[in-house]
Amino acid sequence: MEELQYLNRKKFIKSLAALGVIIASFGLPTAFAQDASKEVKLTILHTNDVHSRVEPFPMDGSRLQGLGGTARRSSLLSKIRNEEKNVLLLDAGDIFQGTPYFNLFDGEVELEIMSKLGYDAGTFGNHEFDNGVAGILKHFDKAKFPFVTSNYDFSKTELAGKTKEYIVIEKDGVRIGIFGLGVDVEGLVDPKNHKDVIYLDPVEVSNRIVPILKNQEKCDLVICLSHLGYSYKEDKISDLTLVPKTRDIDLIIGGHTHTLLDKPTEVLNADGKVTLVNQVGNGGVRLGRIDYIFNPITKDKKYTSKNIDIAN
Amino acid sequence: MRFNRTLILLYAATSLLIGCKTQKIQYLPQVSYNTNIVIDNSITPDSTIIAYYAPYKVKLEKEMNRQIGYSDYYLSKVRSQPEFLVGNFFADALLTIGKQIDPETQLSLATKDGIRTEVKQGPITVGSMFELMPFENTITVLELKGTDVLELCEFIAKAGGQPIAGFTMQIEHDKPVNININGQPLDTNKTYKLVTYDYLANGGDYIKGITNPISRINTPNTVREELIRYVEELTSKGKHVNTQLDGRITILK
Repeated sequence: MEELQYLNRKKFIKSLAALGVIIASFGLPTAFAQDASKEVKLTILHTNDVHSRVEPFPMDGSRLQGLGGTARRSSLLSKIRNEEKNVLLLDAGDIFQGTPYFNLFDGEVELEIMSKLGYDAGTFGNHEFDNGVAGILKHFDKAKFPFVTSNYDFSKTELAGKTKEYIVIEKDGVRIGIFGLGVDVEGLVDPKNHKDVIYLDPVEVSNRIVPILKNQEKCDLVICLSHLGYSYKEDKISDLTLVPKTRDIDLIIGGHTHTLLDKPTEVLNADGKVTLVNQVGNGGVRLGRIDYIFNPITKDKKYTSKNIDIAN
Repeated sequence: MRFNRTLILLYAATSLLIGCKTQKIQYLPQVSYNTNIVIDNSITPDSTIIAYYAPYKVKLEKEMNRQIGYSDYYLSKVRSQPEFLVGNFFADALLTIGKQIDPETQLSLATKDGIRTEVKQGPITVGSMFELMPFENTITVLELKGTDVLELCEFIAKAGGQPIAGFTMQIEHDKPVNININGQPLDTNKTYKLVTYDYLANGGDYIKGITNPISRINTPNTVREELIRYVEELTSKGKHVNTQLDGRITILK
């Protein structure tokens, strides 16, 4: 995905440059740059802990009966994509385990459907390891979207190089950086199923990667896909305790604790700025939605003026 | 020729400047909408997705309907009773499974809350075991001090009974009396091995007496897979599930 993005960018830049050359050679003043006055709208949609819930919950009197279902999610996504130009669809992990679809087909159905639904990225929950690293790899090719797993070091496993530390997606000139934090699988996953997976501290990893996304990658929005869990009674890292120890994360899309929120929680980060934390229960009973409006920061005129110089 | 060189130079200069990341317009994000959307039957399902998973669903239902054994009785769950058939079935199966892991295993324990449904009289299918044990809990064997077993029995008595096997007890005024293990009274100076599953061993369902074991064997085997194997083994020996109420826990009035 990152490579793809890069290639597309390269191609785009080339065609822009070619256009620039043509216009320049005719001596016309031009601004083939992005329109600095235009605001950009981005719609972020997300799920977590879908747990192989391909079909809606059965009508068995349980709390979530009749809710969810991938076919309904697909219709809802189509409707939103028809209404909105820039849509991102993300998942915060625990795609696997929970219905016989996983026990029988080892994740094939879940990953194929997510690809059909047009997911842009996902991260690993602890249940992704239920059949070990080999179990993740079994149908890995069915996922036509990247997994961002910033705090799992897979270099000593078969997964080495197959996941991303972070990705950057560009929509209408707005750059969105996405990284992923997983839960410590020790005690959650059978040791043989996470053999050689090295767990890295989520706070340290965030404070290393977010500055890269902000400063080097020039991201306008930083999203963390987290499977750390919303919060705990005991002293354990969670989305709510991560925020005050980090800066510049705009949105945490959470999972693991199956926390069903009506809307995101606002938490203050190390700079006293708001980070949103959202999570939508489990089983795909809700689709998380957050819309952002991006306004160009006008004091930064460098880009436009330099381009005009060239054109002249 | 000169024109071409100018073009190339221009091209290079433009590419450089546009390609340079410091040139990017910066944007300030502001949230304009943030309400999560409920997915219920008001949304018409996408028929292409249903068509995609339909063949898997057919296979899945075939597997769920696969017969693995036969139950001579309707294994009911009667919460108010100190023992009930589906509880005895579950606990008996656990004990057999536990003995296969550690032959010294003498006791087994489940909870009323952990047993989710009843088993119908007649064919037992893979699906019935999924309904009985939908959770991904795994088999765990614990070595317990006799005093801890007593504490467990006190918990069981207070709850008016829990699914157990390998020991018997009576409940008098919410207290355990006449606790017997293999025909011998409970000896608080001895140690005992008990099979249960990780959720309970970790303190789930407010369990008492088993969370500080002398030793613990964690297995990766889910209770459900083991239950399926247990029933299949009975069937391969030409046996039916014929769980009885045997008075393993009774309430003294």
